[in-house]
Amino acid sequence: MFLIKKNEVLKLAQELEKSYAVYGPVVEKESGQAFLTKVDSVNDIDLNAPIPALPPKSVVFPQIEKILGYKYDRNSKNVDIKMVVVPQAKAIFGLRSCDLAGIQCLDRFFLGQEFVDDVYLLHRKQMFIVTNTCTKPFAQCFCACTDSGPSAKEGYDLNLTDIGDSYLIEVGSDKGKELCEKMGLQKSEAAHAAEKVKVVDKSLDSFEKEAVENKAWISRVMNRITTGFIKPQVWEFIGDQCFECGACSFVCPSCSCFNIEDFNKPDTAVDRMREWDSCSFEGYTRMAGDHNPRKPIEDRRNKRFFCKLSYSQSKKYLRPGCVGCGRCAWVCPGDIGLPNVVTYVRREITEREINE
Amino acid sequence: MNYKAGICNFCGTGCGHLLNVEDGKISGVFPSRNHPVSKGRLCVRGWHIHELIRTDDRLTTPLIRKNGKLESASYDEAVSFAVEKLKGIKKPSEELGFLASPRSSNEENYLFMKLARSVFKTNNVSIQSESGQRESLNVLYKGTGMAGMLGSIEEIKKAEFILVVGTDITKQNPIIGSEIHMAAMNGSTVVTICSRKSQIAKLSDIHLQCKPGSKKILLAAMAKGLIEKNLHDADFVQKYTEGFEGFANSLGSLNDGDIESLTGVSAQQIAAVVKNLSEAKTAMAFFSSGISGLDEDTISYIYNLFVVAGKIGKEGCGVNPIAGIANLQGTYDMGVAPDLLTGFQSIKDAETAKKFGKAWGADLPVENGKDVYDLLAAKKLKGLVVVDHDELIVRQQKAIDDLDFVVYFGAFNNPFTELADVVIPIGTYVESDGTFTSTDRRIQLSHRKVEPVKGIQAGWQVYSMVAAKAGAKWNYDSPAAVMAEIASLTPNYSGVKYDKFKGIGGIQWPCNDKYPQGCPRFNAGDAKGKIKFVSVSANFKGAEKNTEFPYLMMTGKAQHFWHQNNLMRRTFIPMREYNATLLLYPKGYVEISPEDAKSIQVRDKWPVKVVSPYGSMKVTVKVTPDVKSESAYVPYFIRDMISEFLMEHKELLEQGEDAIIPVRIEKV
Amino acid sequence: MSEYKVITVPEVAVIKEIKKEIEDTSTFYLEFENPEVAKNFKIKSGQFIMCTIFGAGEFAVSLPPSPENDRFHISVRAAGKVTKVLHSLQPGDKVGIRGPFGNGFPFDEIKGKNVIYVAGGIGIIPLRSSIVHVLQHRNEFGRVIVLYGARTPQDLMYNYNIDEWRKIEGVEIYTTIDSPAPGWKYEVGFVNTLVEKAKVPVDNSVAFVCGPPIMFNSVIKDLVNRGMREENIISTLERHMKCGIGKCQHCAIGRTLVCTDGPVYTYKQIKTLGEQI
Repeated sequence: MFLIKKNEVLKLAQELEKSYAVYGPVVEKESGQAFLTKVDSVNDIDLNAPIPALPPKSVVFPQIEKILGYKYDRNSKNVDIKMVVVPQAKAIFGLRSCDLAGIQCLDRFFLGQEFVDDVYLLHRKQMFIVTNTCTKPFAQCFCACTDSGPSAKEGYDLNLTDIGDSYLIEVGSDKGKELCEKMGLQKSEAAHAAEKVKVVDKSLDSFEKEAVENKAWISRVMNRITTGFIKPQVWEFIGDQCFECGACSFVCPSCSCFNIEDFNKPDTAVDRMREWDSCSFEGYTRMAGDHNPRKPIEDRRNKRFFCKLSYSQSKKYLRPGCVGCGRCAWVCPGDIGLPNVVTYVRREITEREINE
Repeated sequence: MNYKAGICNFCGTGCGHLLNVEDGKISGVFPSRNHPVSKGRLCVRGWHIHELIRTDDRLTTPLIRKNGKLESASYDEAVSFAVEKLKGIKKPSEELGFLASPRSSNEENYLFMKLARSVFKTNNVSIQSESGQRESLNVLYKGTGMAGMLGSIEEIKKAEFILVVGTDITKQNPIIGSEIHMAAMNGSTVVTICSRKSQIAKLSDIHLQCKPGSKKILLAAMAKGLIEKNLHDADFVQKYTEGFEGFANSLGSLNDGDIESLTGVSAQQIAAVVKNLSEAKTAMAFFSSGISGLDEDTISYIYNLFVVAGKIGKEGCGVNPIAGIANLQGTYDMGVAPDLLTGFQSIKDAETAKKFGKAWGADLPVENGKDVYDLLAAKKLKGLVVVDHDELIVRQQKAIDDLDFVVYFGAFNNPFTELADVVIPIGTYVESDGTFTSTDRRIQLSHRKVEPVKGIQAGWQVYSMVAAKAGAKWNYDSPAAVMAEIASLTPNYSGVKYDKFKGIGGIQWPCNDKYPQGCPRFNAGDAKGKIKFVSVSANFKGAEKNTEFPYLMMTGKAQHFWHQNNLMRRTFIPMREYNATLLLYPKGYVEISPEDAKSIQVRDKWPVKVVSPYGSMKVTVKVTPDVKSESAYVPYFIRDMISEFLMEHKELLEQGEDAIIPVRIEKV
Repeated sequence: MSEYKVITVPEVAVIKEIKKEIEDTSTFYLEFENPEVAKNFKIKSGQFIMCTIFGAGEFAVSLPPSPENDRFHISVRAAGKVTKVLHSLQPGDKVGIRGPFGNGFPFDEIKGKNVIYVAGGIGIIPLRSSIVHVLQHRNEFGRVIVLYGARTPQDLMYNYNIDEWRKIEGVEIYTTIDSPAPGWKYEVGFVNTLVEKAKVPVDNSVAFVCGPPIMFNSVIKDLVNRGMREENIISTLERHMKCGIGKCQHCAIGRTLVCTDGPVYTYKQIKTLGEQI
């Protein structure tokens, strides 16, 4: 473990910039909204910014991206297929632990199953990840309920924790260690590590007071979601509130459904694009020729919560699919962000409880 | 920073978003959490706006029709040709029409309107889409002097009582629907008057599922109930308003005993709603001003009901028409109407005309113009100038085909170019600065985010070019300069300056000396003179039973069918959603209740023939408990249905959302 | 992870021949442009491929050819935007192929058993591969019964194959149409009626069933009533697919992904999926 002075912490990012495209939390000035995005300058990185609006999946699995290009000349019958090029290796600096858990879910899903998703792999390989411990939760947070925070436990190259004057740097990989050694950073002592434990404990203790927007007692519902012992009226109540916008899937760090479309360009070349999709859409499961196996909204909602909160899906992710970031709650035009759904299911709420 | 703040350009809600700009292309969209209206939410359209903006299906060069074929030309050639032809029209006040787009920015609409009036000397400048908006504005202007939503979307959460009349709001303006739903979750009482069980009806505390065509009667019954039980706000009526007696009198002819049979809603239910409304300290009414919006009389009843209940003119209150298109409100604000100049100023007002004439250095045509669609129907028109593809143009395709000369300004390729003699490309809304006024009078500045496609000019530049060719000298160096001129001529916009748009959320007009930062709502004290009850008809005839045509058929919009698909067909996911329904009901559908399906002996997706006194169409049935027995609902869903069947019912459709067509439904 | 192969890039194949089967369905005989690819292209009955129609998009389609000594082809109904474009192509045009994907039908596991195929309409397409394969190894199986029904004689796929199969000794072929038609010399009635007619054995037997939902459900009911065990009834599911490799999730049913866990399931499994077929 190493130490770096607080006002020098961005030097790590500067070092990374030499070999990586650096992504980090940056606040957009006009809207005041934080994004995890490619930085114009590492000095724009704000480690104290709130949880970025956009989940980090946008770095490894962009909202819309070209996965293949081809051109077919029907007259000459000539086909020219081009794979996508390898983007520059990426580094994420200042990732929150919930979002790291999201990337881990995606890794296990895209890379750890029968087939490896080669496009995802292009983004993900050679990536350098620097996480940042949350010393205090935000109002929307419930990572304490989903075992994904406030400090990352694994999967990072370096993990930063603000312990007062300095950041404690925990090393999670050889790559991380090399970087610290190359920069000649000071080694930390046992007292620093003990200080980190205190910081994390304090952060956890403050959830009761700070993280007031959401609670999700997910351990109480995972069994019921897996087995399906939930009154249909509960799903109906949830389904009635679904506006079918897809937002919950788009902002979820672990949602990975996508759609593929071929975009014809004016010069007859075609870009095969893939983009985020959502199982809440009616057309999502539609098959050519008038057959839609999954129709009512409550069925489609049900599918997403199954994905986030069932044991069987957790087997794929090696953890619950929900990472406790709270984004789905603030983008939902209905009132069915995941924490609320957990409450509805847990308490079998089937209608509005006015002035609860 | 790849993400740039902006405003969604689909419906009139005015949601904030951030667009991801990568390599000069829009490659993503994200909701704006700090935006006062949308607060981090977007609907399915808004979430896919990047699919539309990034399309390559663009107009990339001016085109002139030669020997029946469109051929590339330079801007100079195309503009010269257009001006020469348009100037050649002898009686522009009768023969020339300008059809504006409710999606263009305020600046572009203003210049387009100025072009029509000051350069080409015609007041025939209009939009047709969503004409219900004009009816709403008329009522509100007559009553309060404010031609815009009286309340504010931001204040929905402060309304203790919310009345939704008709509109399928969670589908058409989902984020406003969401605000209403959130208010309901926090304890507000939501009442929906709708003949169908729409999503908002399901989310409401009380759903008054009235018979088709009886909304007005129901609203009148509520007003009558308020007054008779002395539950109205007598102090407010006395202090701020005039015309109460007249309104109360017109309710006299409504016979209490008839209400239930006319509306299908029980007296107890109405009494419960009346009680809720009177007990609430604050209340808002919402209705669609859309293509299927309400007629002026019904809107007048909503307005009068809220005045008599004392629920306008203060925080958390208001009568709120909802615009279905991004800059519909702004388009009227900019005087895109045959009889209006900016800010709802009448063209017949001598002072106003003088003011504009002086500022523009031109004489304006003095007589009111005519609606371009009326002129098309009357076959008087010779020349037509169109911006974007107006969705209702499909109804007039033949008339347009017969015109001498058609100019088209637009960003995207679309079928309308096939009717045009000159096509002049303009940039999309992300390629230029511009302000947009959403449904709650919120003026928002959308910055330029990407470079225009090579060689393409922004709308405001192109219109200046046209003016210059026609000999008028306009000297705008930027959209900001256009706004400065608008502000100087428009009392409600007098305080608007580009410098004031800091951060997000915009400015709600009136923005003037009294409210330099804008004002969220109509305040009772601001009315010129007293707030007026508007005159209403005392006609409470319900739809009559007809044994030959026993079903009362309503028309409306289908989910996933927005903007006639002109925009949506360039998207993938929203278009797929439309196609999903299309696959299920390839010929469109008519909704009927399960009981009726049983009596006609049809099942879901079976074909039927819908016969009205004027015509018939073959569609499939969608059997749903969302409509009541003896009612039927047919959504605008595929083009053939609109042009072939509904066209025949033009007069009926002009009654707006509450128009009903008596039909018979036969098994095929 | 080290031995992953690129699966997002299609291989180019040429349409060699197009044979119209029924009104809206044709068979397209294909050949890979690259002989190396052709050599390595090994399939199992019941698997599917992702087929790119250049300029239109990609769709999933089951593989009708037998894994052994059969011409590479697909049979496609013009059902959607992309498949309609395929139908406008001519021999000599090219398409892109990814795959094969999916688990496939059991073959070695069912040796020695009676094999029954029940198909309705174009439901025969995914079964053809297994039928031909089993017939190529006729002696290794018990009774082999094919029950096939369609609305009219014109709706019967693979007529030319069926006529050949009828000639093979020890194969019981039953075909049926919904209502009598002139010149029709075989059975009349729904497919499920053939189950009784053929005296379908249930012990030491396995049934492959594929067809539209109504037919599927009634056949299953009859088979189960005869005593066929649910785990011995095998079908293949069709879903909207985009990637074919278990990532896009369009084909998810409950906890299973049709593209990687399926498309072949036993009826016992299908019953627990909890979604419509």
